[in-house]
Amino acid sequence: MNLLRFGHDSYGNRIIDGASWDLLPVAFWAGIAVIVVHLVVRALRRGKGGG
Amino acid sequence: MASDNQKIIRHAGIDRAFHWVMAAIMLVLLATSLLPMLGVRFAWYGVHWVSGLLLTVIIALHVLRALFWQKPRGIMIKPSDLKAGGAGKYTLAQKLMHQAWTVAVLVAIVTGLLLLRKAGVPFLERDPYVRSMASWGIITLLHDLAALLSVFLVLVHVYFAILPEKRAYLRAMTKGFISRSDLAREHDLNRVDRGE
Repeated sequence: MNLLRFGHDSYGNRIIDGASWDLLPVAFWAGIAVIVVHLVVRALRRGKGGG
Repeated sequence: MASDNQKIIRHAGIDRAFHWVMAAIMLVLLATSLLPMLGVRFAWYGVHWVSGLLLTVIIALHVLRALFWQKPRGIMIKPSDLKAGGAGKYTLAQKLMHQAWTVAVLVAIVTGLLLLRKAGVPFLERDPYVRSMASWGIITLLHDLAALLSVFLVLVHVYFAILPEKRAYLRAMTKGFISRSDLAREHDLNRVDRGE
């Protein structure tokens, strides 16, 4: 997985072009992970009668 | 002494309008920038820059309203927010969500406005040579990171908005009102009454 996109300037030097779009599913699944973790913690607290 | 079921105004109509217009524009911006990356081909650029300028105007109005008609310190994180049930108008989680959106949206707006010069729009001639390619790359990187952060924040924000125990906040963002008994679960009503 790449973190960055690279291109070349007019002198042939390698330059950063932006973020790699490999990170799009990472952002999506990070959001899903937070939701799942919260749902699990919420269920455990309710199981213990913590509301 | 106010009764528990007394409804109080949490969000004025203008603030609810700001919220939902900002939300709609953010979804258009994310769709027009990310769908092409997922292989959906369409003429995205026109809709994207027009939506970006609309967002800039809406955010500018929101900031002016917050500074001159509201209490901007109310959204700042304070030690008392860390105490259970000690929140003022906003809980710690709500404040953190607002700060995260502030970072994502301000970075997207500033870098987006700069990128207009590179790509060109009807009122601003395209001139990619005003900056080096390396500079454009860094600006694009920040714009991309703001978009990725926004994807994460949309998911988490919508999830917390639709949770049954948080439904009162969603209702407040649609109808404007919330009851004191709903607020009493996580808020210090004395702080709320003082406008904190």
